Amino acid sequence: MSEFFSIYIEETGEVFKCSDGQHILSAMASMGKKGIPSGCHGGGCGVCKIRLLDGTYKTEKMSRTYVSEGEEEEGIALACRVFPMSDIHLSVIGKLRKNILKKTTAVKRYGFV
Amino acid sequence: MGVLRISHINLRVLDMTAALKHYEDVLGMEKVHTDSEGNVYLKAWDEWDKYSVILSESDRAGMNHIGYKVEKDADLDEFKQSITDYGIEVEDISSDALEFVGRALKFNLPSGHEMYLYADKEYVGTGVGTTNPDPWPDGIKGAGVHWLDHALLMCEFDPEKSINKVAESTQFMIDVLDFYLVEQVVVGPDGCFQLATWLSVSNTPHDIAFVGGPVMGFHHCAFFLDSWDDVLKAADVMGKNKVKVDVTPQRHGITRGYTIYFFDPSGNRNETFGGLGYLAQRDRPVTTWTEDHLGSAIFFHTGELVESFTSVYT
Ligand code: FES
Ligand SMILES: [Fe+2]
Repeated sequence: MSEFFSIYIEETGEVFKCSDGQHILSAMASMGKKGIPSGCHGGGCGVCKIRLLDGTYKTEKMSRTYVSEGEEEEGIALACRVFPMSDIHLSVIGKLRKNILKKTTAVKRYGFV
Repeated sequence: MGVLRISHINLRVLDMTAALKHYEDVLGMEKVHTDSEGNVYLKAWDEWDKYSVILSESDRAGMNHIGYKVEKDADLDEFKQSITDYGIEVEDISSDALEFVGRALKFNLPSGHEMYLYADKEYVGTGVGTTNPDPWPDGIKGAGVHWLDHALLMCEFDPEKSINKVAESTQFMIDVLDFYLVEQVVVGPDGCFQLATWLSVSNTPHDIAFVGGPVMGFHHCAFFLDSWDDVLKAADVMGKNKVKVDVTPQRHGITRGYTIYFFDPSGNRNETFGGLGYLAQRDRPVTTWTEDHLGSAIFFHTGELVESFTSVYT
């Protein structure tokens, strides 16, 4: 029997259930919630970057391009690689990385760039 | 003479076991080799050369390099000269430095992506052989992709800083590697900036594509399927295997292809690309899509851009 935990997103106040065998992003998406940006669901693209504020969890391997070892120790992770072991309180830091790198907001001046 | 087609792609994966399960059981490729460093080589059933995908375990996702096959060994000498003359440094790679491949040229496109050219790769034959072949072999797994079809590379694009690596890489492919432009997206005042291009060196609508973004990267590599029915079945296979699908079966306005975008377990985007779209020809007029029709250009049915299309890549 899988156990279910409550996941709380700081920015949007959204709350949803996630089982211990499911990653947080997949649980969020399957409930139709949108608080964490959703991309590859494989730990490769970095858009779902979060800070875990409270709770215990396991992680799977994530791209070092987006989460350094130091960050990982501080509780930063990619939501699609985080499996809860208790209720979780998290804050979103990923937004859309490519826009962050551009140092502008998400204003698109040329088509989709 | 000249470039024949895309021949292989080397992708970085976070977990080899999960990656193999995806490329074997979902796409239906066959593992043909593991080298001493643990890189795994895979082949699709309708390909006759030894492999088309190399998976390398790494701490990040993305593409290491891409390889194109040329027709004759002597082409490599000509290309070495013309690439060097263009101002791009070329490295000679000895035979078998890339396993099962003869001597090669290695260089970086103006966008920064690493490319190999070579004339020889070990021949192993398709899954049905060459004498009285069946239309398809027994025992194909998953989607049963036919071959690696094309790749789309993200190139740095920032007109305010006069950076357009899409245009630069496109020009290089045309001027030096003898590709031709098939379709393009133009943006900005009077469509003065090439934001995306689709280029062919054969008769398929594209053998490579470039799209502009804030940073360079790997957008997707596509595998060929025959028909719309095969694309639907591939989507069923993905649903059964809990593959993360980015865009469900749909038609691209560009190339008219039948598409599914999905991710491998490390977040590298794959595509199954069905149908020939049309027969590309060197004298076929170039198709141009304007900024106000971007949505339909990429996703013809909804006519709406999907945010992840340009913001999510590895
Ligand atoms: S969605 Fe791509 S890293 Fe999580
Ligand atoms: Fe494609």
